[in-house]
Formats: sequence, structure tokens, C-alpha cells
Amino acid sequence: MSDHEIIVKTKLGEYSVPKNLLYTAKDEWVRIEGDTATLGITDYAQKKLKYIVNVELPEVGKKVKVDESVATLESVKAVAEVYTPVEGEIIEINEELTEKPDLINTDPYGRGWIVKLRTSKIDEGKLLSPENYADKISKEE
Amino acid sequence: MLKIVREVPLLSVQRELGGSVGEFAGWITSMDYGNPMEEHMCTRTSVSVFDVSHMGRYVIKGGRVFEFLQKLVSKDLSEVGTGKMSGPVLLMNENAGIRDDIMLYKVSEDLWFAVVNAPNVDKDLEWMNTWRVRWGYTDIEIENVTLKSTLIAIQGPKAAEVMENLGFNEARNLKILEFAYGAEVAGKKTVLVSRSGWTGEEVRSFGFEIWTDVDHGAEILRKSVALGARPAGLIARDTLRLEAGYLLIGQDMDENTNPVEARYWLPISLEKEDCIGCSKLREIYEKGVSRIRVGLKLKKGLRVIPRHNAGIYAGNNLVGRVTSGAFSPYLNAGVAMGYVNVSHAYIGSKLDLDVRGGKQKAKIVDFPLI
Repeated sequence: MSDHEIIVKTKLGEYSVPKNLLYTAKDEWVRIEGDTATLGITDYAQKKLKYIVNVELPEVGKKVKVDESVATLESVKAVAEVYTPVEGEIIEINEELTEKPDLINTDPYGRGWIVKLRTSKIDEGKLLSPENYADKISKEE
Repeated sequence: MLKIVREVPLLSVQRELGGSVGEFAGWITSMDYGNPMEEHMCTRTSVSVFDVSHMGRYVIKGGRVFEFLQKLVSKDLSEVGTGKMSGPVLLMNENAGIRDDIMLYKVSEDLWFAVVNAPNVDKDLEWMNTWRVRWGYTDIEIENVTLKSTLIAIQGPKAAEVMENLGFNEARNLKILEFAYGAEVAGKKTVLVSRSGWTGEEVRSFGFEIWTDVDHGAEILRKSVALGARPAGLIARDTLRLEAGYLLIGQDMDENTNPVEARYWLPISLEKEDCIGCSKLREIYEKGVSRIRVGLKLKKGLRVIPRHNAGIYAGNNLVGRVTSGAFSPYLNAGVAMGYVNVSHAYIGSKLDLDVRGGKQKAKIVDFPLI
């Protein structure tokens, strides 16, 4: 185990859970900086979905509510929605994903981020800590 | 029901080569090695290596094996010579429903090998043994050697080069569906090496399959990668076979599907009478069917994947269902196969297909899709 991430090892694989992020039970990650929240899907989620061939992104400026879908991912395995755990306005989308959707596979916590939102209120109590998220995925496999 | 999940014998070698592991048909094996699209393209243009040890393997020996198999499967095996594979043959039920498609290898009249599909490793053995006993072939023995052997597929236009570099002398002589029994590879004896594969053999790819023991399989897997073959997983294998138009058991065909509607002609001999399902098959053929299997192609560049069971429509009228779909990196388009009512199965016409985000036009095409 390194300083900045938890590695969850299961029968099927190894999954990185960075310690500087918060998580949802639906396998999204959130980075909160002031009133901005960056959203992506976890290493565990991308490994379950496998290779992603397409990402449908929202319009910048769109207002979204908690648990609303902000993106649709299509992988060789399935179609998955990305839900936001915070409400607010989409202020940036990761345009790079249109050309290279597999950045979500190769760099889920970095260049594979999906959207940024400006948010007025964040209920951190609804989000999972890295430890709790690691616990959740280790129990799933 | 208890779900049995087994690990393929070379799982640790797959992981060492970068395998991303998942479950398929009760087996834990590698789904991809980082990028299934690149693995697919590499198989079409160069060479890849697949560990396909999840496929079931039997040794069938004793007296009158030929006679027994001839009654069991859909194809006339009298055409199969020694040292030749049968090509796919079917295990049908009495209604000509497809239980499995399997490959037979004739070593001699009384020694045959079989490769069966992964989900059916136990089911096929039970079926074969039931009929073996019922028909009184008590001197025949069917041994399931799946867990103590491996099957490595080296596929692609440069496969022969890799095989030569592995010290397989017959790489250039072996013809499609021939096998070299007990051939040497990398200085050791194998069970057999065949000129075969499931990636589109007669379409764009030319490959070999090596059946050998577990340690030797590990060595061949590692060595072939060192010699330039790219490791590839089951996702690429699935998209490759779909482009070639090959059917996957449990997905494109099952016990409620007959070979006529599946248009699966290769494994059947219509004039054959004495086999399980043969007379029913003839009856179905003469009467005709109401739906048939076709290929479907979506617009180039549209990155959608048709899913199993998605509806196929003429206007608002449901006229068929998708059984397999994929995004073909070779065609840069979504492709599928499925069953369509005969009245709408015109090659070249367009139907609407349910995909992510709504309906899309799909062109009806024949196989192979590339």
C-alpha cells in the first residue's frame, strides 16, 4: 500500500483507490476544490466495463440535480450512465474523450476525467471515503 | 444452483503478460491485454497469441469410435481423413436444436480428439456418455483432459513466421484443417498442432492452434510473445469471430435454434439419415423456416455497439432480434448478427436497430462481414 492510494486486490484483479478523492456507491469519483467538483469513474468501474468505445458528454452550462446522468459510456461490455453526486452547473467537459474515449481506461483518475461542475452545496456525507469505497469493492468480488 | 468457476491453467502467465482478467462461461481468463481493438487489428494485420484453454478437450478412444461419432454428430464423417479435422460439427438434440458445435480430429479410426465450447465442457461429456452407453459402445472411453492440457492459438498473417521461429517445421506445409499429431514445437512434443482458428481463418487471418501440456503451453505462450506475437484476449476473439460470421453457442444458437434458420451449413450433411436430429433436420429443411440469420452493418464512424436481444424493426414493426454485436475496428463501424423474419431478410436493404440513444439504420449483409 502506497501513501497516496489504496490497492484493492481481489480474485479477479487489482484496483487503485486514490486517497485524495471521494467516491460514490455507483463507482464514480469526485475531486472537490472550492466550489468546483470534477467527476470521473473509478479504476474498478473501468475494469468492469472494459474497453470504452464512446462517451456522450453533456452541454456546458447544463444544470444538473443529484443522481442525474451527466454522461453515457459505451464499452465493449455494456452501456453505463455516469451520475453526479452533487448538484450544479456543468462548467467544463473533457473534449479529449470524444476522440480518445479509452483515456478512461488508461488514466481513469487523470486524463480520463469526464466533467467539471460548479456547485453551491456539497453534501459530503453522501460520499464514500477512500477506505469505505475500497471496502465496498473488496466485498463485491 | 452452485456455480462452478474455474481458473484456466495459464492464468498466472496471462497476468504476467498484462492480462486483464474476467469471467467467461465459468472460467476465469483474460478478457484483454489493455486494448482489445488493437489486439483485433494486430490479428488481422500481423500476429496475436490467444490462450484458449477454456475450450473443452476430450480424447475419445476404443473400438468403433468412428461409428459412434458418425451417429452422434450432424456431419458425414466418412469425408474426414486421418490427420484432418472435421471442421465444425453439431451435437443436435432430437428436434435438430443445436446443443453445441464441436471440432473433431481424426488420429485413426479408433482414436479421435474433440474440442468443445467452454460452457459445455461437462454437458457435452454427459451427452456423449449417455448415448455411448445407450448404443452399447462400452469399449469406448471418453476422457476430459481440459484441465491438464492447454490450447494456444497463434493467429494472423504472420502466424506461420512465429511458428517457424518456434521450431515447428511444418508451418508452411500444413493446410487448413490439417493437423500434425505429436509435432514438436520449441523442442518438445505437443499433442498436436493444427492449422485452424476462430478469428476468420478463410477471411483475413491464417493461424495455428497448439494442443499441449500445461508447462509446455506456458513456455509457448511466453516464447511466442517474445517472438513478436501480441497477447490477445477473449474480447478481441469475439469481435474477430463476429466479423467472420461465426456463431457463438448460447448467444447466436442454442437448443431452440436449428441449423437451417441459423444458415449454419458447414457442419451439416443434409443427406445423412442416421444421427441424432438428422431426420428432423431434413424435415425442417424441406418445410422451410420463418426466420434466418443475417449480418448487419451500421453507419461507418458511428461508435455504437448493437447488444444481444436488441430489436430489429421495419418501421414500427419488430421483425427480428440481434444475437451478437460489436464495434469493428477493421470497418470502423458497429456490426451485428441476428435473426430476421424471412419476409424482411433482403441483403442490401436497411432496417432500424435499437442501439444506445435510439434507433439507427442498419444494412442487411451476408457473411463474412469483412
